[in-house]
Amino acid sequence: MASLRVNKLSKQAISSCFLMGLGQLLHKQYIKGFLYLAIEVGAIYFFVQYGFDNIRNFITLGTQKADPWLGVKGDNSIIMLIMGIFTLLAILFFFVIYIGNIKDAQKTSDRVSRGLEPLLFEDEIKEFLDEKFYKTVLFLPIVGVCVFNIIPIIFMIFIAFTNYGDSIVPPELVDWVGFDNFKKLLSLSEFSSSFLKILVWNVIWAVLSTFINYFAGLGLALLYNKECVKPKALWKAFPILAYAIPGFITLLAFKFMFSYGGPINQLIVNAGNSPIGFLDIDAKWMARLIGLVVNMWISTPTIMLLASGILSNIDKSYYEAAIIDGASKFKQFTKITLPFVLFSTLPVLISQFVGNFNNFGIFYFLRGGLYMDGYFLASDTDLLINWLYNLSIDNNYYSIGAAISLVIFTITSIISLIVYVKSPSYKQEDTYK
Amino acid sequence: MSKKRSFSKYIDSIITHLILIIVSIFFLFPCLWLVLASFSKSGSIYSYDGFFPKEFSLNSFKTLFTDVGLYNYPEWFKNTLLISVFTCLLSTFLVIATAYAMSRFKFKARKPIMKTTLILGMFPSFMGMIAVYLLMTQFNLINSHWGLILIYSAGAPMGYLTQKGFFDTISISIDEAAKIDGATNFQIFLKINLPLSKPIIVYTALTSFTWPWSDFILPKLLLKEKDLYTVAVGLMNLGETEFSRFAAGSVFIAVPIVILYFFLTKFMVNGMMAGAVKG
Amino acid sequence: MKGYKRIISMALAFSLALYGVGCEKNSDSGNSDVVSGNITDKIFSGDLERNVRINILENDTAIEKGYLAELIAAFNEEYKDYGIVAVDANMDQYLDLANDGPYGYGPDVLYQANDMLMKYVEGKHIYPLPVQRLDCYQQIPQSAWDAYKSEMDGSEYICGVPVNVQAPMLYYRKDLLPENWETNWDDDKNGIPDMVENFNDMYRYSNELKLSGKQGFMFSIYEVYFSAGFLFSYGGYVFGDNNKDSQDIGFNNGEAYKGARLLKKLAGIMNEETIDDTITRNAYGKLGDGSYFAVISTPDNYTTFIDEMKLNYQKQGLSEDEAKAKAEENLVITSIPLLPEDGDITNDNSKMVEYKAMGGINGYAISAYTKAPNAALAFVDFATSYEMVKLRSDFLGIAAAREDVAKETGGLSEMLYTKLSNGYIDIMPSIRAVSQIWTPCQTFLSDLAKDAFRPEDEQKFLTDDDFKKGLETVNKQIYDAIYTLNSSESKG
Repeated sequence: MASLRVNKLSKQAISSCFLMGLGQLLHKQYIKGFLYLAIEVGAIYFFVQYGFDNIRNFITLGTQKADPWLGVKGDNSIIMLIMGIFTLLAILFFFVIYIGNIKDAQKTSDRVSRGLEPLLFEDEIKEFLDEKFYKTVLFLPIVGVCVFNIIPIIFMIFIAFTNYGDSIVPPELVDWVGFDNFKKLLSLSEFSSSFLKILVWNVIWAVLSTFINYFAGLGLALLYNKECVKPKALWKAFPILAYAIPGFITLLAFKFMFSYGGPINQLIVNAGNSPIGFLDIDAKWMARLIGLVVNMWISTPTIMLLASGILSNIDKSYYEAAIIDGASKFKQFTKITLPFVLFSTLPVLISQFVGNFNNFGIFYFLRGGLYMDGYFLASDTDLLINWLYNLSIDNNYYSIGAAISLVIFTITSIISLIVYVKSPSYKQEDTYK
Repeated sequence: MSKKRSFSKYIDSIITHLILIIVSIFFLFPCLWLVLASFSKSGSIYSYDGFFPKEFSLNSFKTLFTDVGLYNYPEWFKNTLLISVFTCLLSTFLVIATAYAMSRFKFKARKPIMKTTLILGMFPSFMGMIAVYLLMTQFNLINSHWGLILIYSAGAPMGYLTQKGFFDTISISIDEAAKIDGATNFQIFLKINLPLSKPIIVYTALTSFTWPWSDFILPKLLLKEKDLYTVAVGLMNLGETEFSRFAAGSVFIAVPIVILYFFLTKFMVNGMMAGAVKG
Repeated sequence: MKGYKRIISMALAFSLALYGVGCEKNSDSGNSDVVSGNITDKIFSGDLERNVRINILENDTAIEKGYLAELIAAFNEEYKDYGIVAVDANMDQYLDLANDGPYGYGPDVLYQANDMLMKYVEGKHIYPLPVQRLDCYQQIPQSAWDAYKSEMDGSEYICGVPVNVQAPMLYYRKDLLPENWETNWDDDKNGIPDMVENFNDMYRYSNELKLSGKQGFMFSIYEVYFSAGFLFSYGGYVFGDNNKDSQDIGFNNGEAYKGARLLKKLAGIMNEETIDDTITRNAYGKLGDGSYFAVISTPDNYTTFIDEMKLNYQKQGLSEDEAKAKAEENLVITSIPLLPEDGDITNDNSKMVEYKAMGGINGYAISAYTKAPNAALAFVDFATSYEMVKLRSDFLGIAAAREDVAKETGGLSEMLYTKLSNGYIDIMPSIRAVSQIWTPCQTFLSDLAKDAFRPEDEQKFLTDDDFKKGLETVNKQIYDAIYTLNSSESKG
């Protein structure tokens, strides 16, 4: 590993500090040198043409308000925000390559000082298929994730510090407002009681639904895995069929099924009783229960599929050894199967927990559009994310929504991070390797 | 002794099959209702007798494919098929590669990346939708199916943790044996680990294929013209008096997914571990 | 500097002159509010663009029934010498112009309800229109134009052209009236059955029907659009200052609580399906097969009701044409029955007042992002001409906002037009805050409807004060939804 202590830098490495690729050229690595040089030229060109403007616009968020009636083009603050983020990321990328360029020159200098030849370009390429294979493989995913996932998240974080939303949308100019949105959140008294109530229900919901779905899925996988079940593919097709129909359609179907005019109530009325309001305004616990059952219906098939795949990967020799030792079926399950599956799927458990915590669709489709007494613009089955939707998207208060998302996110990420880092899947990754 | 064992096995089998039947009914039942609804003559859901339509006809299926003036279902179906096939191929490739790299290699940035991706996945997604929309307008990818494919595939590696969990359970002793024989990491990945991970590839392929069929948020955001819609958005647009058509359309979505499942299912069984390392 | 001053004063004089001229023209059409001619004239210079394509976003029913195709064909024929071609935008009828327009993905001309269109004015996403130039200007009543009026930068502009009036109406089955209604159910002998004339008799009749196992009058109390009228008829309103002041929310104003009390009473003659939107959805089928006697719906659903009735008659053995004729004969659409002034639906001697409906005016607007404003204006003018509005009325059964078409079509059209001009239709507010009224109202109405089915000791709304409190909560929730997080408005 090339050390970068300044006083030990070779002269090639130092020259690379000033002009990318110079160090490589000095080592007679022409192709690599010119590549780095080309990157630097390209970066400078980009910066001069677009970069400066983008950064300046990012800071001011536009100065000229557009007026479609008068044909005035004006600045679009939000586009400026996002292009600013884009440029900042591009600068970061460039910086990483720049540092890499210096390190590379230093590494070659070290090789030379040990009496070896600098690497040929063909050998460098081969490295990318061997030691550096992970770099090759991870390059595209990282770029993709950065552009389509990280930029939106950063964008949203920045939005929380502007006043974007409601009537302040393009062509109006948006401005930075610092922590105003957060101050607003804290100062509204109606907020805190609703927030706590919804948070409590949200946590209960996430824990219960994850627990139920996981063990139901696992149980199904084990069931299907039994010797006496044939043909396996056919039996498994039933949950797969449930999985194949899009979630929102099944949610709408369930909503209708439980409504006053729906089939279930029709049967009840035909039997001579009065209809039951499964999902209506009074049905707090009934609606919550239905939510859990419906969610189980929707989510269990995927877990079943995953667990099936994992189960088939257990080394049969473990079982053979256990049978030789005289272990019962139950013992085999608890000592071999269960730990193995848990180990492999614990990260999934965490992402399922987060997914259920932020499960917008279930209560939006099943029971959307009710504001209960004692809640500020929410109902008693709404999760934090539904409340977020009512407050921000429904009413277009984007900046407040972003601020609330930030708060929700902080809570969930802290919990998950703690659990994940303490889990064996993270600490002892090599258990089964 | 053996008579007792086979008797308890017999009871076990009966109970198992009983549970299986209950489970199957539980999952089948709403789907069955949807299927029945798609065969209903009347468009309105309220003219049913409990769970069963009063009259049956193949009309909805016919109109689904022929009445394309307002609701161009065949076009939507084609669009979604295209998007999901490419997404499946691209996503599976990217995710498996990512998960493999994260599982097999030790490099400095690894643990930080793992923690970061975990955290990033927790952001409520619809706030980021505005940003995605704006980016797409700048890249000129609105009203383009490739925009959707790009976003689905680019975001897929974020979910690598599931696949990594699978790779973590594959023993590295084979890898080491191969290395001694002089194989590069690339060759080990291609020739050894990939064949071993058929079950997880199947899982990834199936889930990434299915997602575009059920997602309506992103297509609704990026596709403005009705002929470009995917099935999910298109069905959302269907009026309420057209429930049987809605049901028929939904049922049809299940068809390619179930076909894909049956096709891939033979790859799910992976009994090779035994004996591969011994000797 | 001197030359500069001269130019400025000339420009000022010139624009004052224009203003004066504009003033002159406006005053003889009876419009007392002056519409500034400057901006609209600059945008709509009158020179038709050549060889352009304009995208028209209409509503789904118009496309489905073939009206849009006819309109576009006729327009293209008329303007083919200019090379102007109108096409169906092929987009979602509820698209958000504010999000899509600026990036170039919106239509050129759009048809929507007034509250949907007017929310685009604040961001200047639709153009102010030179409406005096349009053929339909004199034919449309002031109250309809008002629905599209907005104040921006100190002047008033009209940003849309009304096409038709939407308000809830009563649909009932003539063939389900009792045999002897002319003797037993027509107290004032005016040839109109009492139960469709006023709610007290409708209540009585529905109770009778219920005893024999059928349903009389049915509607989803959950639907704000229908139930709000009951509150308005007793003094309620949405926003104060002619629906412009969102700080003044009026659901509890006057004696609106009487309307709420009446609604709960009405729930008693229905079933639990009134608590959610079930009845709204099954109304077509149930009126069609005779399970319901009367429902509330909007004029644009007329064809759907006819279709369902037709299906039922065909099942009974009639041919398609016979069934259609019979359906058209037996399905009557008329105004909502009168309400008792004292709010007591069981009092036989109540004096009756008119139902004040919550209505809307649908119309055309032009996107501010269009590349061909003059062509778009030509299209709007064409589409709001006598022939085209009459055609629309024939195809879709709408109630035209043009007086000549309304009087010509007679019947429903004329009825609604009269109601509109006489102030019995409360047009939906055109300010953005209106989107906040739905959920709080729905919650209250749902609760109110459910109350009729709760056991006595669990009921929430028993005294007049209970109703008042419920309505006050609605006001507060709406106010909170509008103002709590709104950074640009101040809390009163």
